[in-house]
Amino acid sequence: MMSVRSLAGACLSAFAALGAFAVPASAQNYPTRTITMIVPFAAGGPTDVISRIVTAHMAQTLGQSIVIENVVGAGGTTATTRAARAANDGYTLVTGHMGTHAASVPLYPKLAYHPEKDFEPVALLAGTPILILARKDFPPKDLKEFVAYVRANADKVNAAHAGIGSVSHASCELLNSILDVKPVGVPFNGTGPAMNALVAGQVDYMCDQIVNAVPQINAGTIKAYAVATAERNPSLPNVPTTAEAGLPAFQAQAWNAIFAPKGTSPAIIATLNAAAIKALDDENVRKRLLELGSVIPAPTHRTPEALATLVKSEIAKWTPVLKPAS
Amino acid sequence: MELFANLAHGFAVALSPINLLMCLIGALVGTLVGVLPGIGTIATVAMLLPITFGLPPVGALIMLAGIYYGAQYGGSTTSILVNIPGEATSVVTALDGHQMARQGRAGPALAIAAIGSFFAGCVATVLIAVLGAPLTKLALAFGPAEYFSLMVLGLIFAVVLAKGSVLKAIAMIVFGLLLSMVGSDIETGASRMAFNIPELADGLGFATVAMGVFGFAEIIRNLDAGAGMSRDLVQQKITGLMPTRKDLMDSAPAIVRGTILGSILGILPGGGAVIASFAAYTLEKKIAKDPSRFGRGAIEGVASPESANNAAAQTSFIPLLTLGIPPNAVMALMVGAMTIHGIVPGPQVMVKQPDLVWGMIASMWIGNLMLIIINLPLVGIWVRLLRVPYRLMFPSIVIFCAIGIYSVNNAPVDVVLAGAFGLVGYWLIKHDFEPAPLLLGMVLGPLMEENLRRALLISRGDWSVFLSRPLSAVLLAIAAGLLVLAVLPTLRAKRDEVFVESEG
Amino acid sequence: MSDTPSEAPVKSILQKWVRGPQDFVGGLVMMAVALFALWASSDLQGMHGFSFGAGTAPRMFAVLLLLLGGAVALMGLLNDGPHIAAYSWRGPLFVSAAIVFFAVSIRPLGLVVTAFASFMIAALGSEETKWLEATIVGACLTLGCALLFPYVLGLPMPMFPRFLIQ
Repeated sequence: MMSVRSLAGACLSAFAALGAFAVPASAQNYPTRTITMIVPFAAGGPTDVISRIVTAHMAQTLGQSIVIENVVGAGGTTATTRAARAANDGYTLVTGHMGTHAASVPLYPKLAYHPEKDFEPVALLAGTPILILARKDFPPKDLKEFVAYVRANADKVNAAHAGIGSVSHASCELLNSILDVKPVGVPFNGTGPAMNALVAGQVDYMCDQIVNAVPQINAGTIKAYAVATAERNPSLPNVPTTAEAGLPAFQAQAWNAIFAPKGTSPAIIATLNAAAIKALDDENVRKRLLELGSVIPAPTHRTPEALATLVKSEIAKWTPVLKPAS
Repeated sequence: MELFANLAHGFAVALSPINLLMCLIGALVGTLVGVLPGIGTIATVAMLLPITFGLPPVGALIMLAGIYYGAQYGGSTTSILVNIPGEATSVVTALDGHQMARQGRAGPALAIAAIGSFFAGCVATVLIAVLGAPLTKLALAFGPAEYFSLMVLGLIFAVVLAKGSVLKAIAMIVFGLLLSMVGSDIETGASRMAFNIPELADGLGFATVAMGVFGFAEIIRNLDAGAGMSRDLVQQKITGLMPTRKDLMDSAPAIVRGTILGSILGILPGGGAVIASFAAYTLEKKIAKDPSRFGRGAIEGVASPESANNAAAQTSFIPLLTLGIPPNAVMALMVGAMTIHGIVPGPQVMVKQPDLVWGMIASMWIGNLMLIIINLPLVGIWVRLLRVPYRLMFPSIVIFCAIGIYSVNNAPVDVVLAGAFGLVGYWLIKHDFEPAPLLLGMVLGPLMEENLRRALLISRGDWSVFLSRPLSAVLLAIAAGLLVLAVLPTLRAKRDEVFVESEG
Repeated sequence: MSDTPSEAPVKSILQKWVRGPQDFVGGLVMMAVALFALWASSDLQGMHGFSFGAGTAPRMFAVLLLLLGGAVALMGLLNDGPHIAAYSWRGPLFVSAAIVFFAVSIRPLGLVVTAFASFMIAALGSEETKWLEATIVGACLTLGCALLFPYVLGLPMPMFPRFLIQ
């Protein structure tokens, strides 16, 4: 009995000693083994779907498989924290998004990472336009009426969102701050329940990503006032942009991008960036991203430097909007 | 008869060799994963989602649906054999199912669970096909006020299903509610009782706590009793694999009642299936001639909730298929599977994707048939597994549970938490507190709080909404009635119960 | 059975004054849990206007548990009830150790090493364990898990120790 226990103890300490070894990775013939891509949201969500479409193609280019690891929690910040602390050898990457790499800064005062200081930007993958939606029998007919109505009835209307830190929450706060109203925000646990409440007419309006909303709009169960991008979206050609409809200040887009832990070698970043760009130029990848209502970034927006600029501007954009809310 | 044309079309799609194969794989994988303790349905579907990306969309969804209801079948196996519910919906199955196993009646318990599930699956499939569209209205009629009242009713069920002291059962529910408060506040995002542990930021996982207070606690308790328990399970004469005539006669009405309850409650988004299984158990216990048999191996206590949770698992597809809105996490993953194939489900999905919708509905019936064909012969194997000496069984269960919990979030902290809850569960057993009400409190707590707060936000603080909305008022009235029924007899019989409960 | 614990002195005192020690102590511990929860949620915002704050529901449930725990303890004090059941140390210790070892080593050491070692540690929890048999079963189980989880179910899980891969 004693011997077994001391043996176990010896094994334990031996393992601990072995685990302490860390072999430095080389950037020269990168990649030589499987790459892990941490996705901070559940499988099947927009970020996950975009990551999978793009990484499947990148894996072909790189000649190594890319394994997606979905780590959920705390608006994606749990996973992002883990990625920030991962080895910077290019074998652990993360798909960041508007929430994890911009809105999280004002929302979580105790955030364990900083989007700019703890990550190397790799490449922007896709943008997802945001729509202003309302229940089908909400009185205003267009965006101008909507603005007037919400301002006049700010204490009566209810704005739904998919939970603190979600894209729909952040964009709704932005819209409300532009309109200078503070309606009652009704939180739901994710987009599904929020959409259910909007379809059922239990809440008045919400802002959400285009993906889930298109079929509901087409079926007439909810209505869309405007899309918050510079151009109309091909999947909803009849929905005007916010600029066309008279609220040019409201511009918002959810975006997804690849990041690597700080200190990852520039050569590896360049390899990954080239693979990502190649994927975005692939016809099949483009087709599938467009089906999701995504906007594929223009060539000038695909460099690591452009992504760094985007992160900086997004943090600047969301911080004043979300600060008082938290 | 458009319905028959649609169903015929569905069967034509589902019976194609590739889709039959997908259905079989889904059912098999679902059973396997359901049987493995620790890995719940949501985690499984999430894990296997990527595998389906290379498949044609109809085949992919048929397979995922198969995994979903297959895991419901398999989940009851672990509940019955080793008292580890992998899902909130199989907590009640463990109550009487595991008692039956200890009495050497694991075979009939497993078989009746499979038969009940099959019956429920068949009824629910027909229901989806015939009444799917009109039933959608029910999902939309439930606003925050109605949900809150439904959750209150659900908590009352937890009181009724307690076999010991009502007071201690209520204390356990409140303990569960308190545990469910850990994590982020839905309205403000403030961290509640999470002590800056990042893994607690989203609260305690159901699997973590369930594995702890049921799985690990049960193992520790069995080791505690030493040789006694293992002999109990192993050497006891196993009396027959299949249910007797009497078992079937006893179970038949329970299966029908469970199916009806499950079919209705399954349509409600969020928590419907959990409440369905508790409601079914409560109903059986309340109408039974001798309610004291419940919790001590009553076959109706297995038949009814198993039928209810399978019926609910099927009818929970209704909001997805008719509204395009996922009512629970598994359905949200299904939507993910559709979107990756370029199909975004919406209200017109039935019209625009007839192959997909009717193929899936037909495949559900086929899948249920496959499951019963797979599961009935497996009963013999499972029962034989009980003959494995406990000294080898328990370390294996520990490993499977640990891997299962780890795999849910890839978080080692979850495994440690489950171990801690194992010790908590061990203490609870020693003090004769029942873990089932605790788990129900934990599952329903967040739903109750969220909906209460939503209802009050929308009504601007007017509490009368819970009574002025008819559906909500009816639910609260039922809850009040049940509570009175539950408390009255136990107040009288309290003294006797204390002694009956002191065996363990 | 070597695990039968010795009679704790506290118990005999309890038996003198308390008629149902099991419920009495159970209720007291529930009260302690409730007080802990009250303390832990004391930094959270309460009601503001008509809407709940983050701390409203946790405090509500904690107060409720405090009352219920008190009631359970009172019942234990007044009614005859069972004594506190015997605890053993061996099962809880080694099962917990196996779980903690698993959690600590799954990432650095991978599934194969971790599953086998945890199996053996857990096996220490029973005095009936036969070591040869346990080693064989542990090895087979490890092999089974190594095939089942990463390959059949496609779980992203490290298989071998990190230092061997790099």
